[in-house]
This record gives sequence, C-alpha cells and structure tokens, in this order.
Amino acid sequence: MATASRSLTLSSATFAKLTPHPFLLANLQPPDSSTPSARTNGRQPRQARPYSVNTSSLSHAHGSAVVRSGDTTVICGVRGETLLTSQIPNYRVPQPGDTASNDELRDYDLIVPNVELATGCAPNFLPGVPPTTLAQTLSTRLFSLLHSSKLLNAGDLRIYHNKAETRDDDEMEEDNGEEATKEVKAYWVLYVDVLFVSFDGNPFDVAWAAVLAALRDTRLPYAYWDVDREMVLCSRPTTAKPTTPLNIRGLPVACTAAVFTAKERQKRGGGQYWVLVDPDRLEETLCDETVTMVVDNTNGELKVLTISKNGGTVVGPALMKEFANVAAARWKEFRAVLQ
Amino acid sequence: MTINSEPEALLSHLQNTDGSATFSYNGYTIVGAANGPIEVQRRDELPEEAVVDVIVRPAAGVGGTRERHLESLIQSTLRQIILINNFPRTLIQVVLQVTTAPENEYVNAKLVQGSSNLPILPALLQTAVLSLLSAALPLTATLTSTSLAVIADGQSNKIVVNPSPREIETSQSFHVFSFTSHDELILAESEGSFTMKEWNDTFAVAQRQCCSPTATADGDTAMDDDSLAGTGLKQFIRSTLEGKIASDLHWK
Repeated sequence: MATASRSLTLSSATFAKLTPHPFLLANLQPPDSSTPSARTNGRQPRQARPYSVNTSSLSHAHGSAVVRSGDTTVICGVRGETLLTSQIPNYRVPQPGDTASNDELRDYDLIVPNVELATGCAPNFLPGVPPTTLAQTLSTRLFSLLHSSKLLNAGDLRIYHNKAETRDDDEMEEDNGEEATKEVKAYWVLYVDVLFVSFDGNPFDVAWAAVLAALRDTRLPYAYWDVDREMVLCSRPTTAKPTTPLNIRGLPVACTAAVFTAKERQKRGGGQYWVLVDPDRLEETLCDETVTMVVDNTNGELKVLTISKNGGTVVGPALMKEFANVAAARWKEFRAVLQ
Repeated sequence: MTINSEPEALLSHLQNTDGSATFSYNGYTIVGAANGPIEVQRRDELPEEAVVDVIVRPAAGVGGTRERHLESLIQSTLRQIILINNFPRTLIQVVLQVTTAPENEYVNAKLVQGSSNLPILPALLQTAVLSLLSAALPLTATLTSTSLAVIADGQSNKIVVNPSPREIETSQSFHVFSFTSHDELILAESEGSFTMKEWNDTFAVAQRQCCSPTATADGDTAMDDDSLAGTGLKQFIRSTLEGKIASDLHWK
C-alpha cells in the first residue's frame, strides 16, 4: 500500500519479485556501509546450508536416505533386482588371463540411477510432464559419478552357484578354496531412485548426498542359485545368512557454487562478482556460471573426483584452488553428519 | 585404425541453413548447422535476449540423457559468446549431428551408456563455433577446446593431449578445457581421480594448446612435436575462415 509520501517505497518482497538482480546486488553490496553485506537468505557467500540425513526410512527398499539441505529435500531409495547372466546378451565369463577390461558395473548396467523432479517440489516442476533437461542432466551426472568414483564393487553384486555345496548335501561348509566351483549365475542390479520432495536450489549436491547415504545404508539379502528350481532364491535374514551391506569405497562429497556478477551481462574482464556457495532457487536464476567439485578426503590427501565449471569466464585456476578448500570443508561437515 | 591428427573443416556446405560446418579431428566428425535469429515459440521466448537452443544427435540411435547433458553444457557456453541481447524474443538454433566417433576395440561393442559423456565435447564445441561463424552471427569471442588425459607412466603421470578412447579408459583422469579467444577459461570438465596440482598442470598444458603464447607464464615455449603448439587451434579457425572468404570473393 503506497503511503502519501514523495518517494515510492516498496517492500523488500515486492522489490525481489520485480527486479531480482538489483535486489540481490543491493543485499551483497549495501548502499550504506552500516548494513552488513549478506545474501538474500541471510547467509554469507561462503556459507552453505547444513545437511541433515535420515536413513532406513523406506520399508520396502534395500536402502534409503532422506537428505535435507535448507529447503531442498531429497529422498533416495535403493532396490536390488536380480538379473540372470543367461539373460544378458553380451555376457562374457571372465577368464583368468583377460587383457580386455572387465568392468561388470558398466558393461551390464548394474547401477541404474534415476532422478524424478516432476513431483510438485517447486512451482516450475509440476507432476505429469516428461523429464525436463535438468532431470535428465542430473540423472546422467549421477550415473557418471557413480562409475568414475568407483564407489561400488562388482563383487558385492554377484550371485553365485556354489557347485561344491550341491555335491555334499550334509556339509554346509563355506568353500572358499577353489574358484572354479563357483559360477556367477546372476547379478544384483541396483535401482537408485532419487525423488525431490522440495526444491530450493543446488539439486546435484543434495541428490548425490542422498545417493551416497542410501548406498551406505543398503543391505542385500543372501541370494543363491537353486539348481532344482533353476532360479535365484533369497533367504530371509537369519543369523546364519544375514543381509550384507555394500562395500563403499571412499566418501565423495559434492560442493556447488554459483557466480553472481554485478553487471547483468558480464562484459569481457573486470566487473565485480561474488561466489555464492550452495545457491538457492533465486540465486540460481540470477547466476549464469556454476562450479561443482566432488572431493574425497578419506585418505588424508584431498582427491578431486569431478570438476565441472561452465557458463562464464570468472572462475579460473586461482578461484578453483580456493574453491577446493571450500569443498574440503563441506566434506568434513558431511562426514560429521553421517556419523 | 588411423586417427587423423590434423583438424579439418568444411564451411557453409548446407543450402537451407543460415550457417553450417563439418569438423573432423581426432576421430570425431560432426556436422553442425546454425540458424538464427529465427522465430521462437511463444512459451520459450525471453523478453530481453535470444533463446539459444542446442540439439545434439548421436551417431547411432536417438539422443538420451547423455545428449541432454552435452546440450546443456554447450548451451550455457554459447550463451556467453553470442550477442544474445541484440536479438530479443528470437531463437538461435544450433544442431550438431555426430557422423563418426572413434572406436575402442577393447570394450564390449554394446557400450553406449557405459562410456563417459565428455570425450566428444571439444569437437562439438568447435563445430558449433564454426557453424555460428558460417552463419555470420555476432559473437563476442570464438572458442577453442581441447581434451587431455592423465595416464600413469611408471612412477609418475604423463599428460596426453587428444587421447584415444583406449587411453581415456585406462587413464586416471580425463579433462576437457575450453578457452575463449580472449584467453579466458569458459569451460572445465574433469572426471576421474586427481589432485589439484595435477589439475593445474593439465590446465597449463591446455592453455598452451588453445591460447596465444603470451597468455601463458613462460614467454618462449619450446614447440612440442606431438601437440599443436601455441596458437594452433585458434590459427586453424582463422585460416579456415580466411580460405572460405577468399573462395567466396574469387570473382572480384
């Protein structure tokens, strides 16, 4: 409601709706020096939203996790389904002297991630539409990272037919000696489904955190090849044959930042900019350039697994080095939350 | 299986598009077409700038999630170099059709989904830039891109420029860098497992490949035999266009 004053004053919410770019700029660079500079959500440029993780919430999934980071909430469920080797068209029995690469996870598509954004998590993601470019991009990025990080071990997913067991019915010993008696009859295929419950920016980081937490939570039942019925059977979990967790290698954590430039169209060189870590929905619409880094500090030395920078020319090697430190701090935060 | 080590380009060979280019390098051949500024769908139009739409079609099959990812990377890159503010409420469309890709005899032939998204990216970006130049769309800068792999070589690691698919598969990390003609880094995609020091080293090698020699730290760089030294890629774009213009104006 406009008051009878000479200058037109707007509430900050109206200001944000009408001209979002100057609104964020005024927050980061306040006209009078007494107001401290901050982002529109009150955070500092380097401050990320804290994670909160809840695992094993889905009863019918073999592993699940709900991860919240601010208002972005993602739920991930991991379900294992069996796939017979006889039904794999290009299945090759691995020979001892094989020189060709034998990456079963990639060759037989044993991990199938999928991201569902059309859940009503934000006004522009209403249900009933086919996957948008963003959802497809997230799916493929998660897929690439799952494989290139070598997070999972194909050995955990093999289902064997132990021929030695069928010869002696009385003795149920674990025959680890002769590899020739164990034949791979089937594989577990992990269907990793990621659903966005609410969306407030930075989907990749939170989706990856959910996938990681869900895989760490996954326990597969004991599965074996039944010779008489010629199918894979699973045992109910007992003390003798408990569910086995997956062997997760390392702890890769993703960290994303968006670059906000003072001028709406960044001209060549110069111009003020701010690197906003963990951008929210408003900031993402105002920033062209994003940087994502996936790091793993499990062995003490910071290993970088992915760097993805696109959309602008602000971030160079110097800023990337600083950002590596920010990503390392984020790694520590996430590890603390998981424990 | 020989992979040509010299880039080749053919410009403006398609009749019905505003601009087109076929680019081949390192085993990849891509046909690109650029149209614009053209009419845009009402629901897609933007009031103050042109919409940049990139379509990537693979050599075999229809595009899937990988093509969407490549399209979003190329789109965010091209948005920075095309003068989109000159053409509000229009569409600039770039279509990239992959015609050949190098083979890797060591893996199962079925592997489409399993391999990495990134190796084809430099060739796609190069084709897109050449198509836009052929269409005479106003650009703030041109781009040059390169791919590198870090391969374990005994105790240390060596950096291979424009690696083959087998080298990418056995590498420890794979990197794609793209620079503008003003020597700014516009795109950096890396995957694998590496340290920041390794990344800085690969960045320096990529900079030597794509940028003018004065942009790099050392003034007199020794010319390497196995890489296009100095302004190789930039020079290639320039000479391709000069050749095209010369043949267009031969009647004068």
